[in-house]
Amino acid sequence: MALKKPAPAAPSSDDERRLARDLPGLLSALEAADPLARRWAARDLTDHPDASRALVERLGIETEPSVSQVILTTLTRLGDEIAVAGLTECLRSEDAMLRNAAIEAMKQLPDEVAPVMEQLLKDHDPDVRIFAVDVLESLRHPRVEEWLIRVIAEDPHVNVCATAVDLLGEVGSERAVPTLHALKARFVDEPYIQFAADLALKRIAQG
Amino acid sequence: MKRILVIDDAATVRLYHRSILEELGFEVTEAVNGLEALERVAEGDFDLYLVDINMPKLDGYGFLRELRGKDMPQAPAIMVSTEAGANDQKLAFLSGANLYIVKPVRPERLASHVLTLLGMTPNGRGAPS
Repeated sequence: MALKKPAPAAPSSDDERRLARDLPGLLSALEAADPLARRWAARDLTDHPDASRALVERLGIETEPSVSQVILTTLTRLGDEIAVAGLTECLRSEDAMLRNAAIEAMKQLPDEVAPVMEQLLKDHDPDVRIFAVDVLESLRHPRVEEWLIRVIAEDPHVNVCATAVDLLGEVGSERAVPTLHALKARFVDEPYIQFAADLALKRIAQG
Repeated sequence: MKRILVIDDAATVRLYHRSILEELGFEVTEAVNGLEALERVAEGDFDLYLVDINMPKLDGYGFLRELRGKDMPQAPAIMVSTEAGANDQKLAFLSGANLYIVKPVRPERLASHVLTLLGMTPNGRGAPS
């Protein structure tokens, strides 16, 4: 039987990485069919501050979790207004893994996230407000306690307040005490709020 | 004594669930995310899992998918979420949850669900075995 001459191999992902690594080349690779090529492109775009919009757009349609993860890491490193907006949009995603990854990414950007935090905490969707409070968990920013106090004072949704009161137990000071008492009075029939607020008050009292 | 694994990244929630379940006579183990929960599962058997959805590293859906793929006796799982959307419920059941409940969890409701899933009656709540 005659042997067929093998067709030239398609460029592997390694080969693709050796192709143009300038912005147009990387943006093209970001749309490649091969997830590995997209992952390398997303990683190498860290050096291109103008890449945020393309990365955010790719994130919206990306189906491979490992590529999404690298895009989130690159957006975190770029950390500009467009990147933060893209991360924020992920909080509305149906994909729990993407949402959680975006929350972790946003925690790394306290100064960049701070200007949009007020808006997030007033979002019409209570789930987005809960995720915004989750971001506050490790956000090293001087206004965290003030934001949490405002949430438990004003937010009408019990689960948003519940998430905030958990965190106030860890970062709250004497400033939070009157609002914690007011929260208990507002949700007097919710056992979890009573439990979590009492725990927060106890922790604050213990200093 | 029946053993329950409580999986939630919020310490206060874990403490709250622990207090309810210990009051019922169960032994409670905690995990802060899905990955840690899988480690606890590798260390010993549980009779029921109480699983949050949104957690870092490995969320509740991912944990249940991994768990249900294991060749081992499968215990019931209650997924607990702040989200009441139909899609979340669907995903929970597709991942292997037996029940989906929305926070805030009321002690009497949690007790009722746990006892039902474990085939126990409230009369036996003081000494589940």
